[in-house]
Amino acid sequence: MDAAAGTAEASERKPRRFPSPPRLSEAWRRRLPLLPALLIMIVLTQVPFVMSIYYSLTDWHVVPPGPRKFVGLDNYSHLFSDHFFRSAVWVSVQLTVIPVIGALVLGTAFALLLDRKFIGRGFVRTLLITPFLLMPVVVGLIWKNQMFNDLYGVINWVVEKLGGTPVDFVARHPTMAIAVTLIWQWTPFMMLIMLAGLQSQPADVLEAAKVDGATPWGIFRQLTLTHLRPYMELGILLGTIYLIQVYDLVAVMTGGGPGSTNVPYFVFQKSIGGGWEFGQASAYSIVVVVFSIIIATVSLRVLSRLLKGEEAA
Amino acid sequence: MRVGLRLWSAVALLAVVGAVAAGCGGGGGSKSSSTAAQGGAKGGSINVAIVDNPQMKDIAKLTPSLFTKQTGTKVNYTILDEGTLRQVTTRDVAAGGRQFDVAMIGPYEAPQFGKSGNLVDLTPMAQSDSAYQLGDIIPPVRNALSADGKMYAAPFYGESSFLMYRKDVLDKAGIKIPLHPTWDQVAAAARKVNTPQMAGICLRGKPGWGDLGASFTTVLNTFGGTWWSAKPDGSVDKAQVNTPAFRNALQFYANLIHDAGEKDAANSSFNECLTQYKDGKVAMWYDATVAAGLLEASDSAVKGKNGYAFAPVKETKAAGWLWTWALAIPKTSSKQDLAWNYIAWATGPQYLKEAGTRIAGGWAALPPGTRKSTYEIPQYKKAAAAFAGPTLSAIAAAPINNPGTTKRPGLPGVQYVGIPQFQDVGNQCTQQFSAVIAGRTSVDSALNNCQDVASQASS
Repeated sequence: MDAAAGTAEASERKPRRFPSPPRLSEAWRRRLPLLPALLIMIVLTQVPFVMSIYYSLTDWHVVPPGPRKFVGLDNYSHLFSDHFFRSAVWVSVQLTVIPVIGALVLGTAFALLLDRKFIGRGFVRTLLITPFLLMPVVVGLIWKNQMFNDLYGVINWVVEKLGGTPVDFVARHPTMAIAVTLIWQWTPFMMLIMLAGLQSQPADVLEAAKVDGATPWGIFRQLTLTHLRPYMELGILLGTIYLIQVYDLVAVMTGGGPGSTNVPYFVFQKSIGGGWEFGQASAYSIVVVVFSIIIATVSLRVLSRLLKGEEAA
Repeated sequence: MRVGLRLWSAVALLAVVGAVAAGCGGGGGSKSSSTAAQGGAKGGSINVAIVDNPQMKDIAKLTPSLFTKQTGTKVNYTILDEGTLRQVTTRDVAAGGRQFDVAMIGPYEAPQFGKSGNLVDLTPMAQSDSAYQLGDIIPPVRNALSADGKMYAAPFYGESSFLMYRKDVLDKAGIKIPLHPTWDQVAAAARKVNTPQMAGICLRGKPGWGDLGASFTTVLNTFGGTWWSAKPDGSVDKAQVNTPAFRNALQFYANLIHDAGEKDAANSSFNECLTQYKDGKVAMWYDATVAAGLLEASDSAVKGKNGYAFAPVKETKAAGWLWTWALAIPKTSSKQDLAWNYIAWATGPQYLKEAGTRIAGGWAALPPGTRKSTYEIPQYKKAAAAFAGPTLSAIAAAPINNPGTTKRPGLPGVQYVGIPQFQDVGNQCTQQFSAVIAGRTSVDSALNNCQDVASQASS
């Protein structure tokens, strides 16, 4: 991707160059001062990744300390037969899809409300954004102890007042408990994106539709939703990239276990979380990186399309 | 002109890069000089990792006035829950993390890490320090922290496990708990006294080999089960999780919690049960003997209302575990002298005498089970009358070398298997068992998954 951007820039610059093209040595002399920066960037961003790839091809136990053995692709072949990894992938899928869709729906709803003018709109907007500003660990603790707890949680207090029996949500339904917490935290993010989309909607088109006698629902469905589609795509993709890596909420709320160990937590358990098998853990994380890169590539395409669209408008 | 600008920006860039590089070098340099300055045994500062149990919080609070004031050595504590502490110390000690000068570990870690050369042998320092009184340490506790006669960690407190119960509540129900109860008797009593306001018994249900894993493994041992069979040379043979004895033990443990256990059981371990017991929300509690000091502390609401009995059994004669939270020095520490000074103070006889009047719980809440002399302090004898005897006899009775009905692989251990793989297997399996306790999975599926994990580790 970087390379592609580089050539694009180069081709833009071409007409501005000196009439006679500089000799190769001069070109290198000009690039030379930039090389240290390039080198540092490569060292900082790519070397750890390459090391991980190498580790993923070894059998490396830290406890008990043993020599690192090269085992080829064994860790990868083991990966697909490991049903714990498969269930971690399934949890990851649930913990990504449910919160992204939930937060998007709620975020769109709040954005539509905030798009209207009313007294105290700024204040309400700040309140609605607050969940996104909290540290994930704090969010996890708040929801685990103050909301979901069956002895002193707020939700169970209400349940009891209504005559129901308290439920230990986190222990009984860990996936949903974490998903709900994620929705709470990520709704403001989606709301901000959708609000930006709504406010970029041309007012004259809406007015024209009204003049032509369109119903509010018709306007929303035919105009607003169509206009919001690229923003929704962006929200879904960015949300997916962030939520696929959720680790802190799992660690704080359940500490892993069936139904809450997602892939990042699984990698943690295999490595420094007690497994101490750095070779296998590296293999797992490489697989996650590959998936994330695929999603990121798609999302960057969407982002660039969105920006191009705005430039055209 | 243009070239000039470019040249200048290049120079600026190089300057920045140079400054960054110099910054790194400078940082390294100042670090090494400061370690050199702290080579002496006074002043300086050390980093200490401890577990978040009440006795450790007490010593952290008293350190500035009792230790730093005398020696000038500043102690930076990192206080973590048991599970996190294990991750941190294993990373630091076994993988050479160099973060801590003193780490709190136990009998599971000390012999393993000591044998693999990651810990400083404390015996010579302890022997040459006459004020430390090495011979005063209770022998089973010292042995549990040693390998080949070398003590790799100094005990801060020692414990076994036993049954604590509310005498008043059980008396009212007409139940008498014998001094050596069986699990069947305890389960029957728990089910009888169980009410919506007060659960019958508190048993650990929180995932973690040192949490649920510890309580459950003592039950497993006495039910005739084991995690792995052992080869004649003591190495790991086959996983035994899918055997009937293991199944019976888990079924019994989970059923007892379902019928008469504490609320929020799948999240409860020592500290949670302690809170529920002190709040009068449970009638019995099977856990570490060290809890008794906190139940009888001067600031406890249930002081004087408790009875104590040995760890319940089924097929074996004794089932209590043996554990001690102990302080060790990683070989990577550059301040081993300061670290030993701290350990000698924290685990020495003097602290026990000084702390009694200064901690909130009073004499009863002293760290117990490490030194014979603790049990000769008059004030402690008086405050701990109810549980001092049971604690000492439980520690002495803990079947460390032969905890079950079959031979165990690895180093000695009751509530754990003394092999490196157990930490991971125990953690993963207790997550499965905790899900059974929460009512989320069946015993069968948990045992199948756990058998897979245990088999992978032994192959």
